[in-house]
Amino acid sequence: MTKITTENYITEAKRAIKNQVLQRALGDLQQRFGQSTALAYQQLPEGPELRLTGHDIRMQTIENLDIILEKLAENIRKNSGHVFFAKDGQAAVEYALQIARKHHVRRIVKGKSMVTEEIGLNNALIDAGIDVTETDLGEYIIQLAGEHPSHIIAPAIHKTRNEIGKLFSEKLDIPYITDPPKLTQEARKALRKKFLAADMGTSGCNLACAETGHIAVVSNEGNIRMSSTMPRVHLVFMGMERVVARLQDHDVLVRLLCRGASAQKMSTYVSYIGGPRYVGQADGPQEFHLIILDNGRSQILADEEFREMLCCVRCAACLNVCPVYGKIGGHSYGFTYSGPVGAVVTPLLVGINQAKDLCLGETLCGACKDACPVNIDIPRMLLALRFKLAEGDPVWNVTPADRKEKAIYSAWSWMIRHRGAYDFFHRLASFGQNVLPQKDGMIRRLPPPLSAWTHSRDIKAMTAETFMRRWRKGF
Amino acid sequence: MLDSNQTEFMNNIKQALGHAGDDTERQGMFFDLPMSEKDRAILKGIENRTPQEEEILLETMIEAAEPINLNVIVLPDVASVSSAIVDLVREKEPEWGDKKSVAAWKHPLMASLNLAEALSEQGVSVYFTDVVEDGGAEDDLSAETREKLRQQIIDSYIGITSADFCMADTATLVLRTRPGQARSVSLLPLIHVAVITRAQIIADLKELCALLKWDPQHQKEGLTNCMTFISGPSKTADIEATMVHGAHGPREVYIFVITG
Repeated sequence: MTKITTENYITEAKRAIKNQVLQRALGDLQQRFGQSTALAYQQLPEGPELRLTGHDIRMQTIENLDIILEKLAENIRKNSGHVFFAKDGQAAVEYALQIARKHHVRRIVKGKSMVTEEIGLNNALIDAGIDVTETDLGEYIIQLAGEHPSHIIAPAIHKTRNEIGKLFSEKLDIPYITDPPKLTQEARKALRKKFLAADMGTSGCNLACAETGHIAVVSNEGNIRMSSTMPRVHLVFMGMERVVARLQDHDVLVRLLCRGASAQKMSTYVSYIGGPRYVGQADGPQEFHLIILDNGRSQILADEEFREMLCCVRCAACLNVCPVYGKIGGHSYGFTYSGPVGAVVTPLLVGINQAKDLCLGETLCGACKDACPVNIDIPRMLLALRFKLAEGDPVWNVTPADRKEKAIYSAWSWMIRHRGAYDFFHRLASFGQNVLPQKDGMIRRLPPPLSAWTHSRDIKAMTAETFMRRWRKGF
Repeated sequence: MLDSNQTEFMNNIKQALGHAGDDTERQGMFFDLPMSEKDRAILKGIENRTPQEEEILLETMIEAAEPINLNVIVLPDVASVSSAIVDLVREKEPEWGDKKSVAAWKHPLMASLNLAEALSEQGVSVYFTDVVEDGGAEDDLSAETREKLRQQIIDSYIGITSADFCMADTATLVLRTRPGQARSVSLLPLIHVAVITRAQIIADLKELCALLKWDPQHQKEGLTNCMTFISGPSKTADIEATMVHGAHGPREVYIFVITG
């Protein structure tokens, strides 16, 4: 498993907000993608309502995931592909290592995949003495720098061209350059060697098609085509929910996915791959393996409150509109998945208490739901997580996060239901607030235990008289 | 080989969903359904497409190609395509080294271009990915042949293919792989040239899905083990969101549409 640092959410968020370079990059990213994605939905022949159709298809698939996965596996095996079901990350990694050993693999090229980040595949392969190269340009930069991606589809947005130029000059032994086309050309040159020398290629799976027995992979650079075409073995990692039943579902979902991910009508490359090369074909891998991963997903599936989250196709549209992600960036979320999707998925995968700050940190503004190509109700699930944190939950093994807060709210709840007590409290507070620092009718600082409220904002001072009193006095 | 763990994995999912017993009814919701009226209408529309409608699709495709920096060149016949390719080869320089060579699919359209002859004047070799060995068509290629073909495609700076379809709506080429029609010809070279006829243009992904699923000829072959959509040249915006073409795949893509 990848290292989980969700407990550092608040400190990392503070650090990100102070990072000028990151702030500018995040601002640019959101400005560029946020609006153009909305426009791309508008321009669909079916209109933005296609998102609701997409939601129905995904939900129906998830609710019948067993028979759809069985069909996918059956069809892939028919085409001489291998299918392995991994209950957790460790099982998936062990299977990958076994295949690598069987084929005496020394060099691996990796197409971009979040699920291999989730299970920490790279380190396991490197520990086994295998040379592993990330081939998406952004991922390659991140790998050279020894970091983790900070955005699902734009993993290196937090790096400047100068930083990348310096990194390339050190790691690739070239002169210091900062021009993006030239830097890209250097990466093209270095990675082409890797593609041609690799024994095994890995990729994720954007969305499989059960009735035909194919995985579909989407990219703009062509690195996934390279990784799945040139090496002897192609190994695919797929979260178990990333499938639909029919080809016609792809018509809806591929169009939505490309728009959600990058506001494109169609990404440059979409490949449907359904097994190893067959007799007479000049290229393609001689062996094809599909690893279907559970790793906590069946627990999400079992809970009707969170099942909808498995509709997600990891396009990152929600990151591009989220006011919180737009300030704190991807690293603050402390795990593979960031932004609104991470705020729901990460607590469910790593533990709700462990990752509580992620769902507490979001604003519930609903922008993510509007941006989602399949209209997932993320705010609803954020609230459901907060409810579990407040009340505790035996199924998810949640202990109430903050007993003090719960005590305060219980007292408040009792008080507003008892008029006399409320009036007494009001008089006390409106008198007591006079000793607090105020400016223009606003209180600057509240005393503990309420002081956090006024850390970064003021609160309006209480009126001297309640509405009820003024009403009785006839105003 | 390892046990695939399928049974235990599926039982977990079934339990999570509360499904038990016979799955036949649920399977019937998704698979082996008869053709819908919608699909029937789509197929009929494709079958009865008039030359005027084809022309409109071509215009749509040209419009869609522009913003993605895809060059669509409309020509009346094979001969003019052939000479356009000769010009392109003369004009463009290779990416690695100075030797110019071209890789091409085995395909009736390719054959009619007479490229080997047309390019011999410039001293440019044309490698076809269709080496037939002594064993005959039934046999797999030998490791040596495969390695030789691979090296030829690596060495080529222009890759020439046809396509099964082109979706007008997004200017997307649809390429299926077959013996003689290697995947890497449209991937490794610096420049990808695709030659299609106007009749191969379809409206959109919806039409493609209907054709692949229901058209008897396409249904038989299916998607093959690798069907790739290509919409313009390879690109990346991973460095400061600056758009750069030619990340790993071709930097330039040309589609020649034959209207005659």
